[in-house]
Amino acid sequence: MRKQKKAPVRKEPLSKAAKVPIRKLPTGVRGLDDIAGGGIPEFSFNIIAGTPGCGKTTLAHQFVFANATPRKPALYFTVLGEPALKMLRYQQQYSFFDESKLGKAIRFINLADVVLEKDLNAVLEEITRQVTELNPGIVVVDSFRTVVRKAYSGASEVEMQSFIQRLSQFLTGWQATTFLVGEYVEEEIRDNPLFTFVDGIFWLSQVAERNSVVRKLQIMKLRGQASVPGLHTIRISDAGLQAFSRTLGLITTKTKPARRRRLSLGIPDLDKMLGGGILEGDSLLVAGPSGTGKSALATQFIAEGLRHGEPAIMAIFEERPQGYTERANTFGLNLKTPQQIGKLEILYLRPLDLSVDETMQEILDAIKRVGAKRLVIDSLVGFEMALAPGFRADFRESLYRMIGALTGAGITILSTVEVEDSFTELQFSHYAISFLTDDIIRLRYVEIDGQLRKVLVVVKMRGGNHSKDIREYVITGKGMVVIHPRRTDYYGLITGVPQRTGPRKAQENEAAPEPKATK
Amino acid sequence: MRAIAKRLTRYESAENKLSEPNAPGRFIVCEKLSHPLIALSGINGFRSLLSRALALAAGEVHWLRAVQIKLDGSLECPTDMADLNQQEITNGEVALAAELLGLLATFIGEPLTLSLVREVWPPAPIEDPDFNKKDSTKQTT
Repeated sequence: MRKQKKAPVRKEPLSKAAKVPIRKLPTGVRGLDDIAGGGIPEFSFNIIAGTPGCGKTTLAHQFVFANATPRKPALYFTVLGEPALKMLRYQQQYSFFDESKLGKAIRFINLADVVLEKDLNAVLEEITRQVTELNPGIVVVDSFRTVVRKAYSGASEVEMQSFIQRLSQFLTGWQATTFLVGEYVEEEIRDNPLFTFVDGIFWLSQVAERNSVVRKLQIMKLRGQASVPGLHTIRISDAGLQAFSRTLGLITTKTKPARRRRLSLGIPDLDKMLGGGILEGDSLLVAGPSGTGKSALATQFIAEGLRHGEPAIMAIFEERPQGYTERANTFGLNLKTPQQIGKLEILYLRPLDLSVDETMQEILDAIKRVGAKRLVIDSLVGFEMALAPGFRADFRESLYRMIGALTGAGITILSTVEVEDSFTELQFSHYAISFLTDDIIRLRYVEIDGQLRKVLVVVKMRGGNHSKDIREYVITGKGMVVIHPRRTDYYGLITGVPQRTGPRKAQENEAAPEPKATK
Repeated sequence: MRAIAKRLTRYESAENKLSEPNAPGRFIVCEKLSHPLIALSGINGFRSLLSRALALAAGEVHWLRAVQIKLDGSLECPTDMADLNQQEITNGEVALAAELLGLLATFIGEPLTLSLVREVWPPAPIEDPDFNKKDSTKQTT
């Protein structure tokens, strides 16, 4: 018998072998797990800080309700802040509140009497007693600030530090994931030893700008895992807190496929000008002044997609969905049925205090719901108006991120933007955003033969060659229709006041090119 | 809340007859409720709630006006309670318990109040079809 050779023992590097897996607990807050880098590290000792009304208690409650079980219950200590009865009264209004968890899975304990009448040792003793008795998986102290404030009146800074350290050691030792909730101001972070002890700092704030208030969340620290840095928008609704990562969409961005189809806009002559249509996954900007047919073009783009079995989303910020559907009807395009069967959603977004991240989340959710392939944003000006003033400064950057994320996911986007016609130049947009679009179609008015007519030109097409013709178009009962080959009898069309190059042909009672104008 | 207060009072008096016969005026229902409520809202919070319930119940059962709330949240009965018959005492206990439960239901809602009651009296038959109905028959003494 041949002696088998022993395989050489491969030594794992010490650092790899010693790595402890840290379980991450769901926060219960939509969007926050991604921001936190996967969730809250189990057995961590955290603080939720911020000014009043930011949603600190709601955040703690969402975490508690998402994780507490009868086997691993949550102990919620209330101290001089919001009394538990009031807390229960208000928190049960949120959809995450599950009354069946109270008592067995979630217990509220009032520490106010101990804090008021005794010292820090007694507070720690009471927490220790309750934790030892109940063996919770989660502990919340709300508000911890009041414990500290009261204690400071009778205790030295060293005693305070010792208390926090003993509390932290005890709760971590008992395998509890802890949240201390408190009203703090940012200046305290440097001097308050609490912020050194904790593993995670969740900072909530609300910023008022003009008439709008925006809530923000920042994970200033989270030991052991990579959270997304920066300020993230949060919103409090009936479902509780929802967080919108400032990098929303970027993480999941897919790359565009190498071979992409050309998509029709539903206007055959325009498709020809685009070399057969726009490339799938492109971002097309349609720029033009009011009344030039941007929304009509957007509607045709969506209707054409629907005809080819491509579900769609229209995010509209100016007109109401009904107006959109009715206009489509006048073009013989049915948008009602696709909406009824879940192939089209028209999102009407204009609450005036939106963040781009929230809008993107709304759009991404809708895209997921209907499996959309085409998206219309009508218009970027309306979109900007719907944002809280604080977000408008960052509109370009946000838009860049949003369009990048959506086109990266294979969605073809048509955005409209209103630009004023200048008679000296051909402007594309106020925002200088053309760098983030693949294709640009410019619509404009021109004065020809005593009439205000409309022309269009494909200015840019990243994916290939395109027609350089300036073509006249009309809005008919079928929508936008490109008419006439390029005009060679005028120059200066893009200025809006072109000059005739040759003698004017005699014409009698020339009919206006748009049938509507004859009525 | 009267129906449930009645049931709980009846349940407690039956229990007490077994262990401690005839112990009227102990407000056992309120006393038992005090434990989770003190844990929830502290002694001061519980005393505020109880004093409101007492004020409301005293409008219905007049002898309750003489009842005092002690610092620890327990109730002190009047010395002339001996003049009251058992029915009058029970009516007072029921009225106070009903008002306390009613206040709880106002603040935290009936489902949470019920689950709190179930926590205190796991074996008590509190499932009552009339529980959610408004009290229509208030008794006077």
